[in-house]
Amino acid sequence: MKSRELSLIAMFLSFLVVFVPYFIDVPALDTFSTKLITITAITVSFTLLLAIHSQFKRGFDFVRRKPRGWIFKVYMMITIVLMLLFALGGLETGSYHWAMYAIITPLSSVNYGILAFYLASTCARAFKARNTKSILLILTGFIMLLYQAPFTGAFFDLGPIGIYLANTFGLAAGRMFLISVTVGAMVFGIRILLGQEPGVLGIRSEE
Amino acid sequence: MSALFEIPGVIEGRALGLLLVVAIFVIVYYYLKSGKIPYVRRVAGLDAIEEAVGRSAEMGKPVMSTIGIDGFNYWTLSALTILEHVSRDCVKKGVRILVPTGGGDSSYIVRPVAEEIVKDAYTIEGNPEDYRPEDLPFLSGQQYAYTGGVVGILQRAKPGACIMVGGHHSEAMNIAETAVLVGAITITSGTYVSNVAVLACASDYILIGEESPAAGAYLSKDPAQRASIRCQDIYKGISIALIIVGTVVLTLGSDFFIQLLSS
Amino acid sequence: MSLLKSFNSYDSRIVYLLLFLIVTIPLLSPMGLPISVSPSTVTYYDVIDALGPDDLVLVVLDTEFSGYMEIQSGIIASMRVMVERDAKMCVAVSHPEATGIPELVFAAIRETVEEHGYTYGEDYVILGYVFPNEAAVASAAQDWQGVIHKDFYGQSTEGTFLDQIHDWSDWTLISDYTTGIQSGSLINHFGLRGTPMIVNCIGVMISTQMPYLSTGIYQALLQSMRGGAELEYLTGHPGPGMTAMDAFTLGHYMLIVLIIIGNIGYFGTKENSRRNVE
Repeated sequence: MKSRELSLIAMFLSFLVVFVPYFIDVPALDTFSTKLITITAITVSFTLLLAIHSQFKRGFDFVRRKPRGWIFKVYMMITIVLMLLFALGGLETGSYHWAMYAIITPLSSVNYGILAFYLASTCARAFKARNTKSILLILTGFIMLLYQAPFTGAFFDLGPIGIYLANTFGLAAGRMFLISVTVGAMVFGIRILLGQEPGVLGIRSEE
Repeated sequence: MSALFEIPGVIEGRALGLLLVVAIFVIVYYYLKSGKIPYVRRVAGLDAIEEAVGRSAEMGKPVMSTIGIDGFNYWTLSALTILEHVSRDCVKKGVRILVPTGGGDSSYIVRPVAEEIVKDAYTIEGNPEDYRPEDLPFLSGQQYAYTGGVVGILQRAKPGACIMVGGHHSEAMNIAETAVLVGAITITSGTYVSNVAVLACASDYILIGEESPAAGAYLSKDPAQRASIRCQDIYKGISIALIIVGTVVLTLGSDFFIQLLSS
Repeated sequence: MSLLKSFNSYDSRIVYLLLFLIVTIPLLSPMGLPISVSPSTVTYYDVIDALGPDDLVLVVLDTEFSGYMEIQSGIIASMRVMVERDAKMCVAVSHPEATGIPELVFAAIRETVEEHGYTYGEDYVILGYVFPNEAAVASAAQDWQGVIHKDFYGQSTEGTFLDQIHDWSDWTLISDYTTGIQSGSLINHFGLRGTPMIVNCIGVMISTQMPYLSTGIYQALLQSMRGGAELEYLTGHPGPGMTAMDAFTLGHYMLIVLIIIGNIGYFGTKENSRRNVE
């Protein structure tokens, strides 16, 4: 049997193992399904080793060729080794704890905070009243921005209209999105199970 | 709330769900085999992918395509489908394709599949020697370290197009806005409703909701696959009908639809 | 005319600088702008105010550290109230970056903890990173004793109040502080089974969480940093949330001004180019 057919059969059986226990109470299958999910989670964790190997392999190759910025690759490899050594000394206290909370998490928080600047830039660039729909959108945006700013509520109560917009149009849009995404995902999944999306399995699509 | 009906052997409250899933299987299979060619509207975002790659070829710039930071969920799978088309298109037109990966704890398992897809694209198009592993850097398993890396690549490489599909979370805004600032055609996929609003403003084209999972079928131009997209519309039609009729019936005081949906 | 042109296309760095100043100045020199309290925050407060010494609360810090910066005011204010009500808290996290957050929170509410004699092991336990994926959440919901044996410090949980927990039905409340990592799993394995849930989420998630509130899966929803600030105001303990509200307000107003300026530039140059063509 070709590898393509084997892959599809394995995928279909895995699908049944997880799908069937959700609808039909088969305790043995339920346990097997949970174990299968746990095995998958453990396997995913081991791919971390692949990622580290890939990083070092590419890193050494990069340093050997010495293109622009190669020193940052050296810095990256040194920090990977340092964090691994720190972690050996314990995660709750000590140097790993310091590195996480003095360096990594503040940097991560700063990157998240930078979002505000990009949002401001987008607001200034993209919110143009080109037609009736965009005018309505901008007006709604103004109402919601004013409603969200706490100071507005102290002298002008936009609560009723803000809550109305969020609980009708906002809620409806969210639910519509969930329904369309769920349906799209189901049809996409069925196409995969029927072998119509070979790229996803890493199988070369035939001409 | 009591259910309207039960199926023997099926867990209570899940019978209707099982019937709907079985029905969708049957309908998709029917459309795949029927040979019918229904009308599928133009999806601007998906059509723009070819245009974006062509524009990059004219300008001599690379194309960047990201596949999200999640593990193997349907967003990532649909992104891999789009990556297959994009990479083959790029190789045909002689455009360099950059695919930075990472950003999440499960992104490690997706990377080998993405590598395989891009490598296969070069092989199928007859240019296996042009494949460069350094064009698929694994940046980091941490979301914002990955974001910093992608933004850096955008600023340095200045691609002609940035195709950002797959499961992107709060870093989507950073990447999309940077792509626009460096002058790339930006095509994004709003995977979460909270992202859709900001990406619709920040990018040139956006794929909303089910347009991303439908991409594989749409881009393949295979009539059978395109026909399967019709199934999504059928189920959306059923949902709309249930909402409208259910609202009317509930307002009139009947619990019929609540009991039906609780089955 | 050149002013209108500059309104329509300008260097983004000007926007970044303005936003930086608008946000930084109120943080360094608070203006004390008044804030209003929304009904959703009042509902959230009512739920945690009703807790008592016999109640067992699973507090899930379902966030990376970057998300924590947005919802920390809600986390600190909520856990302070839970300490004041002597509810038993079990704190779990679902992201490796969040393992240090429980200690930061308890440090922030140390005075309240000492005042009420809130003791580790008797009144609260920190489990650490025990919810890495849905499988872990599902297992904990079905068979807590089979899954959770040790706390974050490596000590056995036997002998603590966690001996009373066997499955999802033994919890009085699930309090989820989320950026969306395992919120779906908690809904699937706790909320849908009937365990009461309250959630504090980041701003972009609010619209996606509202359906769960309207269907009753969530008892209450605290909305982002603003909700946390309102909770601080309600409980009478100003903290990081209220400090940030001046900057929050001015930032929102600045976005409105930027949109107006952009549109003035857009219409101004559109009008001029039409006039030039004529």
